[in-house]
Amino acid sequence: MSRRYFLHIACVVAASFLMLFPVSCVRNEKVKENEFANTPYGNFMALWTIMDERYCFFDLKKEKLGVDWNEVRDRYAASISDNISDRALFELLCKMIGELRDGHVNLTSSYDYGRNWSWKTDYPANYSRDLRDKYLGKNYIIGGNGYYHRILDDNIGYLVVESFESFISSGRINVMFNNMALCNGLIIDIRDNGGGDLRAAEFLASHFTEKTLTVSYYCYKSGPGHNDFSELYSNDLSPAREDLRWIKPVVLLTNRGCFSSANDFAFTMKALDNVTLLGDTTGGGGGLPMSSELPNGWVVRFSSAPTFDADTCHVEFGVAPDIRIDMKQEDMLSGRDTYIEEARKFINDKLVNP
Amino acid sequence: MKIILKMLMTVNSRCSKPLLPLLLTVCLTVLPLMGFAQRTAWSLPQYNETVRSGSVAFGKSFARDTYLSASSYSGWALGFENDRWTGNKPDKLFKYGRGHSSLFFSSMTNRLKGGSTLQLSGSDHAAFLWPAVNCSMCDLLIGPVAMMELGLLYNQQNSNNPVTVEGYLGAGLCVDNTFRFSLFRYDMALQATLYMPLAGIGFAPDYDQPYWYMYKYSEYGKALHFIWPLNNTAVMQQVALILPMRGDRLKIGYTFDYTGNSLGGHSRNVGSSLFTIGFVKRFQAKEWDK
Repeated sequence: MSRRYFLHIACVVAASFLMLFPVSCVRNEKVKENEFANTPYGNFMALWTIMDERYCFFDLKKEKLGVDWNEVRDRYAASISDNISDRALFELLCKMIGELRDGHVNLTSSYDYGRNWSWKTDYPANYSRDLRDKYLGKNYIIGGNGYYHRILDDNIGYLVVESFESFISSGRINVMFNNMALCNGLIIDIRDNGGGDLRAAEFLASHFTEKTLTVSYYCYKSGPGHNDFSELYSNDLSPAREDLRWIKPVVLLTNRGCFSSANDFAFTMKALDNVTLLGDTTGGGGGLPMSSELPNGWVVRFSSAPTFDADTCHVEFGVAPDIRIDMKQEDMLSGRDTYIEEARKFINDKLVNP
Repeated sequence: MKIILKMLMTVNSRCSKPLLPLLLTVCLTVLPLMGFAQRTAWSLPQYNETVRSGSVAFGKSFARDTYLSASSYSGWALGFENDRWTGNKPDKLFKYGRGHSSLFFSSMTNRLKGGSTLQLSGSDHAAFLWPAVNCSMCDLLIGPVAMMELGLLYNQQNSNNPVTVEGYLGAGLCVDNTFRFSLFRYDMALQATLYMPLAGIGFAPDYDQPYWYMYKYSEYGKALHFIWPLNNTAVMQQVALILPMRGDRLKIGYTFDYTGNSLGGHSRNVGSSLFTIGFVKRFQAKEWDK
């Protein structure tokens, strides 16, 4: 065989090995399995690390609650042993993340949903569903999933928004506003609204403004450090151009049960001139949540992108009302909802003294 | 020899049934030395000719994207691949065109079967090749390639950030290697192709940048990253045996596709290990220049 033939063969063999080479590199350098082992300590450290690198409110929680995340690790690590049961480990991990007192921080396993809802349960409920139903009566109108309204006896509209899990359509908002067009004002009751889709809250709010205005700011975690954040992005609320818009007085009823998107709805509405917040401070939840997983399959949810109000203040601990009141026991016993009554009084007073 | 063996083994490391690719890999290096040279099983397309192959692909895929989950997912994958070879004008430097496109879907679970991730992935590669070696038994073509890969991962465990997109647009190197041989009087060909991006633009969120914000503020700039092999190692390798079957050619192969990167502060390892079966057809293309 000629020399050239052998040269060709040598080139081809060399090329073949060259073609296999990158795959060898790939396997050695890039394909890594979980960094943490599926052991009690591995899961503990995986959870701590995910939170440490991705949770967005450490500085705020340290300032307001005195939570030192490194100290938390040291304290809880002492309780981890190889023979700890799954349930005991779950409880321990829930307790650890519960120190952050954040409704968006949860640990999910097949047998429980770990949470710390003290942002709500440690405060007066200021809400009675029975009383609310009494005000709604039997012939209220269902405008969408969780959106109910009727006109109260003194010609004031009463809109209940139970949840922002689903949208109310433009058409239904138009129908609702047409129904209440002759009302003197509108009471929007979002008490115990646990949130849902942020866009649903913004969409509803856009029907209460005539001009575009900056209502909030956002940023997101841009790195694993506790202070690694992107720049602030302003969030503008623009009027719903195609639909009817409500420009008469609005009273928004809030309590500690208003969380996440309902919290966003509260500070968005607070920025509007014709809206007054009445009731208790909202429950907060000012961080857009994300999720990840532990080696044992448990899912952890955490706040990842903080929200700020129009004054660039954190809303993680809630939005304060313009008029702070509590439900009165005597009112409740006599079948009256203090919040709704005060809101009616406020709107009626405004008619007299605009 | 130890290094060579390690290389041969690692090519199969992500394969569900490593026997076939191992066999193909060994054949790839040994057959040229056997000297059963034939010309009829496979020949490169002439000017105005196109050779196309369409294959069904099935096998395993794996994914680990720390933006979605710290866990590794793996599962079955199903899709199809389309390969093409075209002949350019003989006076051109790059005498051949080589293309590959694929689309596949996969369903994966984590190690504990507690969560599932769905993946839809597609790619398109177009290369211009120069015949480095062109002899009676083999064709070794080398040249630049433009590559595009795009994948969508949907983690069903995550309620708030269930989806991530990953992909890149890059330029790199393509090596296409074909051996012709005869076995039991049947003409056959063994092909191996490698695509590897060397530079380009990769897409990945800026650490925990929510897709909702990306869309709302049109802030895509920070999600685009310059890629090169040290931050984005990607490779697609095909090994296929072309067998005669009446007037057509049957193609049985193995495709390994992998992208591993650390862009935007998160790491991703996404890939598939697929067996393919399909047909090869030769077409006379229209003479566009007339």
